[in-house]
Amino acid sequence: MNGAQHILEAFHRHNISTVFGYPGGCIMPLYDALVDDVGVEHVLCRHEQACALAADGYARASGKLGVCIATSGPGATNLITGVANAHRDSIPMLVITGQVPSGLIGTDAFQETDVLGMALGIVKHSYLVDDADELPAILEEAMELAESGRPGPVWIDIPKDILLTEVTRAAIPAKQAPAAAHADITEALTMLRSAKKPLLYSGGGVSLAHAETAFREFAEASCMPGVVTLKGIGNAGKHNPNDLGMLGMHGSRAANKAVDECDLLFVVGARLDDRATGKLDGFAPNARMIHIDADAAEINKLRPADTALRGDLNAILVSFTRALKENPLSIADWQDQCRTWCTTGGFHTADNEEALAPITGPAFIRQMSRITPDDTVIACDVGQHQMWVAQHYQFDHPRHHLTSGGLGTMGFGMPAAIGAQFADRNSTVINVTGDGSFMMNAQELATIRRYNLPVKLIVLDNQCLGMVRQQQELFYNNRESQINLDDNPDFVAMARAFDIPALHIERTDQIRRGIETLLAYDGPMLLHVAISREENVWPIVKPGGSNKDMIDEPRRNNANKEQVA
Amino acid sequence: MSQPRETSTPSYTLNCRMAHEAAALERLCQVVRIRGFRISRMNMESTGEHLDIALTLEGSRPIAMLQSQLEKLHTVASVDLETGARVQSCSA
Repeated sequence: MNGAQHILEAFHRHNISTVFGYPGGCIMPLYDALVDDVGVEHVLCRHEQACALAADGYARASGKLGVCIATSGPGATNLITGVANAHRDSIPMLVITGQVPSGLIGTDAFQETDVLGMALGIVKHSYLVDDADELPAILEEAMELAESGRPGPVWIDIPKDILLTEVTRAAIPAKQAPAAAHADITEALTMLRSAKKPLLYSGGGVSLAHAETAFREFAEASCMPGVVTLKGIGNAGKHNPNDLGMLGMHGSRAANKAVDECDLLFVVGARLDDRATGKLDGFAPNARMIHIDADAAEINKLRPADTALRGDLNAILVSFTRALKENPLSIADWQDQCRTWCTTGGFHTADNEEALAPITGPAFIRQMSRITPDDTVIACDVGQHQMWVAQHYQFDHPRHHLTSGGLGTMGFGMPAAIGAQFADRNSTVINVTGDGSFMMNAQELATIRRYNLPVKLIVLDNQCLGMVRQQQELFYNNRESQINLDDNPDFVAMARAFDIPALHIERTDQIRRGIETLLAYDGPMLLHVAISREENVWPIVKPGGSNKDMIDEPRRNNANKEQVA
Repeated sequence: MSQPRETSTPSYTLNCRMAHEAAALERLCQVVRIRGFRISRMNMESTGEHLDIALTLEGSRPIAMLQSQLEKLHTVASVDLETGARVQSCSA
């Protein structure tokens, strides 16, 4: 068995049945081995960046390891954005690239790049294989590393000659990461019980730790009001009355108000990202903090914790739940206060019900939220539409919301939707995108068509880079610079050129029928939605500003402040 | 022309032991740089399978933050901070 065949054998051993890739010179031995392998489905995307982003979407939706493959040189450099995206959001991913033959490394050979050096800052770990007999151990270790502790991408760069060399050494199971020591919750529990206004603040770490059920039981047992980060959306489920939604730059006034007023922050699987906290000096000024995370490096990184618990979130949350069921918290007044704030300062904008009125992003997303099944997976791109989804779509599970949180990668959505559809062929997967993001990976329409994936594509088209335009309007004296996209192609005709049917809507009375038509169609379909160029995402905190200074939509500004104050 | 501003930058010594693998030093130095520290002195010895590296670093951020990031690296076996941070004066 040569190196290439050994890689496939390792995939089988680890139940990896789907990989995303693109062939080329130095990775050819692996593609040659794939010809004889019926157990691994290789998904041919149309750009290596999309391979990495599809593997990312697959991992987010399924909770399993995502795998992407590319050749050396441009194949590897094209992967970079997708791998960085996975790194920033702690997504488990195995990246395999071919490299020029060992003897040619360092000679500026055709399609040679220093992949190991190039990728250092965007991987959890990386390898350059220099001995075929090392490959079995490296593969085992890489897969273990990618999924253990705080997950992340692990990259194996393999020279072509190694792929062709007979491997004589058998695979040895990688050492399992040591189990975290049993966390003593006594101090944190005492602190929690002494708080009058405790607030649960959760992030993407909950689903990364597969701790969704433990978290939900804890949230219900504690009855704490809760806020979530962008990646934590769905943690509490859509029916939790204590959920105040997303905090931060585009969070609700209610969520940011609760953070400002609380006397204890109970942080679970969140890293206190600047988009969530705003200016740190003004963040939760009256609160002590309990920080629970899988990654020791996140504790005290940006704000000192009064007490911290590092380890398996499942075990820690179960301990808290048990204690709180025996002796619940008495925080009824604080709960009532937060629910009042949620009623008056949540994401509730008045929809224009006039049939002929132009469509707004929030109105469209709210209708979509009402019509689509609870288990629909929404893969967003980046920009205004991403924030409207975060604000107005009611998610019941964090794995239903695929969004590029840390890196903010335009072009993430369509490949991620492809990955999610491969993770579950029967689920409803919708890519909600903007006209700017759509064009970043539009070539993947061909992948959707090739595999006849029933992915639904919704393009909210305002003919500009809306989020940049909005910030130029608000913070740069309305000096618009390079945001105009009014020469966009005809997206409906474009989809049809890929043999994907498409519809266009532009009036409020067309929303429901448009979405229902999309959902009813047995196959891929695109819905092009013309929306106003002038629509902004509200509220907003000025970058670098304090969450207390959030700006509301001008016509609602005064009313909202009075209600939430 | 304004006078150079005198600032005080804390200085630390970290002793790292890591596996002797390809790009080991680059990996270490990349983390040091991106986390806001500057290497003012470095000594490295190869001892069989390990590299022992003594780093003298300058930086205004908490050294514990860097230490915890270095400890996360898969090939790093240990990171020890020599106690007694010094404050160096330098022109900015």
